[in-house]
Amino acid sequence: MTLTVETYGTLAEANAARRGDSRYLAGGTLVMRDLNYAVPGLSRVLRVSNPPRAIRQQGERLSMDAGVTMADVIESREAAFLAPVARSVGGPAVRNMATVGGNLFAAHPYGDFTAALLALDGEVQFVDGRTQPMEAFLAERDRAPLVASITMRMPRTGEFRFRKVARVKPKGVSVMSIAAWLPGAPMRVSQVRIAFGAMGPTPLRARAAEQVLEGKVLDASGIERALSVATQGLAPVDDALASAWYRNEVAPVHLRRLLLDEEPEP
Amino acid sequence: MPVEFRKDLFANERDDTLKEIGQPRIRQDILGHVSGRSPYYDDHLFEGLLHMRCVRSPHHHARIRHIDAGAAERMPGVVRVVWPADVPHNINTLLSLINFGRDDEALLQPSRVTYIGEPVLAIIAKTEREAREAAAAVRVDWEPLPHVLDVEEALKPDAPTVNGEYPNNTFDYHDLYDHQKLRFGDVEKGFREADHIVEGEYRMSPIEQAPIETCGAIAAPETNDRYVCHTATQGLFFSLAVTAKLLDIASSRLHFIGGTVGGGFGGKVDSITEPMAVLGARLTGQPVKFMWDREEEMQVGAPRGAELWRIKDGVARDGRILARQFTGFFDSGAYTRLSSYAVVKGTGHLPGPYTIPNVASNVYCVFTNRTPATAMRGFGITGVDFAIECQMDKVAEAAGLDPIELRILNAYRDGDMKAHRREAKNCALIECCQVAADKARWPLSPQSRAASSMTEGGVGWRAEIPETVTDQVGRIGERRRQALPSEPGAGAAATGRVAAGMRRDDRSVELPPQVADMAKEQERTGYSGKVDLPDHAAPASVQPAPATPVQRPAAPLPTQPPPPPPPPAGTAPSLPPAAQQRADDPEAAEQARRRAASRFISGTRRRR
Ligand SMILES: Cc1cc2nc3c(=O)[nH]c(=O)nc-3n(C[C@H](O)[C@H](O)[C@H](O)COP(=O)(O)OP(=O)(O)OC[C@H]3O[C@@H](n4cnc5c(N)ncnc54)[C@H](O)[C@@H]3O)c2cc1C
Repeated sequence: MTLTVETYGTLAEANAARRGDSRYLAGGTLVMRDLNYAVPGLSRVLRVSNPPRAIRQQGERLSMDAGVTMADVIESREAAFLAPVARSVGGPAVRNMATVGGNLFAAHPYGDFTAALLALDGEVQFVDGRTQPMEAFLAERDRAPLVASITMRMPRTGEFRFRKVARVKPKGVSVMSIAAWLPGAPMRVSQVRIAFGAMGPTPLRARAAEQVLEGKVLDASGIERALSVATQGLAPVDDALASAWYRNEVAPVHLRRLLLDEEPEP
Repeated sequence: MPVEFRKDLFANERDDTLKEIGQPRIRQDILGHVSGRSPYYDDHLFEGLLHMRCVRSPHHHARIRHIDAGAAERMPGVVRVVWPADVPHNINTLLSLINFGRDDEALLQPSRVTYIGEPVLAIIAKTEREAREAAAAVRVDWEPLPHVLDVEEALKPDAPTVNGEYPNNTFDYHDLYDHQKLRFGDVEKGFREADHIVEGEYRMSPIEQAPIETCGAIAAPETNDRYVCHTATQGLFFSLAVTAKLLDIASSRLHFIGGTVGGGFGGKVDSITEPMAVLGARLTGQPVKFMWDREEEMQVGAPRGAELWRIKDGVARDGRILARQFTGFFDSGAYTRLSSYAVVKGTGHLPGPYTIPNVASNVYCVFTNRTPATAMRGFGITGVDFAIECQMDKVAEAAGLDPIELRILNAYRDGDMKAHRREAKNCALIECCQVAADKARWPLSPQSRAASSMTEGGVGWRAEIPETVTDQVGRIGERRRQALPSEPGAGAAATGRVAAGMRRDDRSVELPPQVADMAKEQERTGYSGKVDLPDHAAPASVQPAPATPVQRPAAPLPTQPPPPPPPPAGTAPSLPPAAQQRADDPEAAEQARRRAASRFISGTRRRR
């Protein structure tokens, strides 16, 4: 089957051209692999000549166009709290291309950036103007139209923490990633949001742990119950990096390190 | 950290005129690599280049009932479907080039696949995408068969046969046994005398070499009825010879061009992409590229094979290891490739760098329905070394000894007899342990500190080949008829004993080079003795030793008078026996001494 590349002026036009045989190409770090391997049924590539790449502060929230790359995030002053997250994605070559929009759709074990967005109460804005909370979006992302932008809460200093657990450092793929928004940290926390990457088909929230942390101080005794329910609601799978069993065993260990703000292992 | 040389330890080894090692030299190829100019095989551009892709087995083990390539053949861009029958001599084993083992592997498998990813058909098309799409359109009717993925399961009488050429799932050693035997002394006696018995089991998974450049080759018809082949191979002439054999073509018609290998580490010797590409060029008359993608590199690229080792040690109270027994399994995967040789090499390495008076091992090269294994760095040795050194720590714990002191206590010293009946030379484990302990500020006892590889070796029992217990268990095919234990000596109805003192290489001497340009170059070897040129050699006095038949370790050895008694401690090491025999002729003795000393010239330590 011949392959065609169609270039559009806007995301909305590209969205209108989508069919079963087509795929939107953003940074292409995942799509190009499918093209190179001639994945069956994929014969049209849709791209937009200059997709928007702005990062804007809107009150307490930060908005990012889907076309923003990991390298853009690292350079941005407003998004400085996300720089460690963006830096954890692939190597420099991948980060120069990989977009925030593409990360929303990246299959397990990818999606580290999306886990952070989930913890930060992210919201997705589609090309048709509709919006959807991150959690609902992830549950049905296969049917989503093209994404125009994402917004998230801007945490106060010290309230947002992120860890990526990988076997190969610094560029390994996640055994898991953990992102937590901890309003009030390190004192009494409230309305905590914790998201795990690579612990299920999409990034998932650890709701049970979030609930038992309500009103707790982040010290060894304050987090004890949260650790015991850390993996409730998660659905890890076996893959080449780690078994589901292993992931479940070590998840509370890594969550403890994050909540106690221990130095990550070298 | 700067490189630190401990030349003092090897002061007598050779004239140290090394000019390069330790100098901050730039690798000769690094400028090309960092500037992106190193030419890889895939950088060669050809007009009308065609692309070849394989149809591969999705099963561990299956019979091919039928292949329908009709739809694929009619797809756009498809130039040619390549069937097993298109391969002129569709059977080979890599080491047939040195006459080791029997042909057991087809380039394209015609009837029965025995590992996931085994190729059964190839498509040649105008673009890589078209080749992929056509390969995906080939319909194969598979009849899945029972498979075996574990080396010990594969040795059971009812295990499915993996490799038709070796129906017992083991490589045949010396036309006699289903494993490689090593027997030295009497391990059972050693275990009886021991204060501690320490047992350990060690497993290694397969490891993919994971080169950045995957395996591949481009072949094209050349003038004069030849084919040029640009390849990523690690062994250019090896790949050329394999191609000549599989394609039944004179090697003079193959023009192989290697060059930059984009990462090999042992994973680029198996010579599969070269015959495929040349076959493609021959069938189409056009340039053809055959390149593995990343998934193929991981799935069908031959890894370092899995290994399983069991070690049993008998240890005296003071930490001396009195007996060591190995049972080892190399998982060769579905075909032999190089694993048969890894077993022999690994056996030659036993029992590690330690002088142990009683050693026995059974090592098996086992066929399973896994990806065929091949070379990787330290091939045949790395796995068993890992097992041995873990075991040494275990022994240290059992005997309540410091692990470094335990190693120093048991280490080979110069002149010791090794389990495979060769004298230990140029030993330096003790010195390495001492330096490592110093660097780590690890305290050592005065005895360990005073120990030296150059003293106390080769004395008494340390120099001798002990009386050796043998058995004939595990003859080829025996395990098919009845379950047999795999460890040495177990289940032996009859054992034999070979008298002490049998050495097999006492009388070997180095032959002079036959022509001048075979002479060792002093410049290159660092050898500073007189260089023997043919006209220097006095033929009458340098009769080659009568060829001593090479003994299999377990086969009965001929009776011979015991070797001369070792010299008393403290005197200079004795001349090799060859020289002793001619001690009445000083000139000849001098010559023999020098030759014996220069056998492995770069590693020969000459003592005053
Ligand atoms: C070597 C390597 C290392 C990597 N390491 C990591 C890692 O550490 N962590 C991690 O999370 N990921 C990693 N990835 C995966 C990937 O690079 C990232 O997830 C990246 O963010 C994907 O973005 P992209 O722009 O390249 O996506 P593309 O490949 O362009 O697209 C991916 C998918 O998203 C869809 N898509 C893209 N943009 C939109 C949009 N605006 N609206 C709707 N659909 C859209 C595409 O149609 C496609 O289905 C790695 C990839 C590689 C090759």
